[in-house]
Amino acid sequence: MSYNFQNVQVLLIEDNKPMLNLIRGVLLSFGVGNVITALNGEDGFKEFCLFNPDLVITDWMMSPGNGLELTQTIRRHSKSPNKFVPVILMTGFSEKRRVLSARDKGITEFIVKPFNARDLYRRMHKIIESPREFIESPDYFGPDRRRKRKDVYTGIKRRYTDIIDYKNTENVDVSDIDFR
Amino acid sequence: MDIEHYNQKPKRNAKFIKPPNLLKAKVGIGGLSDAIIDRAQKLLESHSEDFRPLGEIYLKQMKDGIDNAIALGRPTDSEEVIAQILFPCVQLKANGGMFGYLLVTRIAERFIQFMEVVDKIDEETLDIAMAFYTTIKIVLNSQIKGSGGDQGEALVSELNNACMRYFEKYKDDLQPK
Repeated sequence: MSYNFQNVQVLLIEDNKPMLNLIRGVLLSFGVGNVITALNGEDGFKEFCLFNPDLVITDWMMSPGNGLELTQTIRRHSKSPNKFVPVILMTGFSEKRRVLSARDKGITEFIVKPFNARDLYRRMHKIIESPREFIESPDYFGPDRRRKRKDVYTGIKRRYTDIIDYKNTENVDVSDIDFR
Repeated sequence: MDIEHYNQKPKRNAKFIKPPNLLKAKVGIGGLSDAIIDRAQKLLESHSEDFRPLGEIYLKQMKDGIDNAIALGRPTDSEEVIAQILFPCVQLKANGGMFGYLLVTRIAERFIQFMEVVDKIDEETLDIAMAFYTTIKIVLNSQIKGSGGDQGEALVSELNNACMRYFEKYKDDLQPK
């Protein structure tokens, strides 16, 4: 049993035509049934509204309408047919502050170019198997930006808001806890 | 008494939404086999697209950016001026490796990291930018694909050393971002 991408529509936006063809070929090799393409963010949003694809893969640096602007439009525009669609951003940038700025625009996954077929598959697999909740707040709408598991810490919880587990409090120094 | 403080609404009112996993519903279970992924990778490696015409466009944009900064005749931290040099180099880094020019990617990546640290343009950074530009141009014109072997390693090492000399000279001015 393996994934069947036959009924999946992917919107691929990339201003570099040879690169567009290359990535389109990779997606078709994965078995994706329909790869819709556009050469910039503005046209990409038109195609998005027309086809309502299951996944968007977009380059960052394009004009008119770069990948971040496109993502924001998908997430916020009243005509957007699916504000929750997963968006993979492709870029040559790998510096942390650039990645964080992309994350703050509602990107689901980030892939640094150059990449190989397995890198792209990993991002798709993650979106399929580990989808993140969406956050709606006055200043952000997009996938939950916290990627770390919340339950990693296994030690004693000492915040005053935590429910105290009396069995584990014997050796806990509570002098620094603010119980207001 | 500050009754307004008591009555204020929570400042962050975030709502959590769990959208339906439409993609999962369509594709089913099991993932993709290694054979399918390997086939896709072979396609990436065996295509016949020539990167050089595109690479030359990005190189020209990078050179125009350098010339524009030189024409200014003064140091600048203008994002626009920096972007005119940096962004074409990001394209070279991103695309070179996808088309077999791994050395172009490696050299361009070094320059991007350099610019992310210095974040300003002056006579010395422009000299370094020119050195990177010239080296990438040589690699592209000579059609040096892959890592470039020992020669490629030597080129990267020289450029790295130039960056390190700059960092050493201006270490007190370089603030972590």
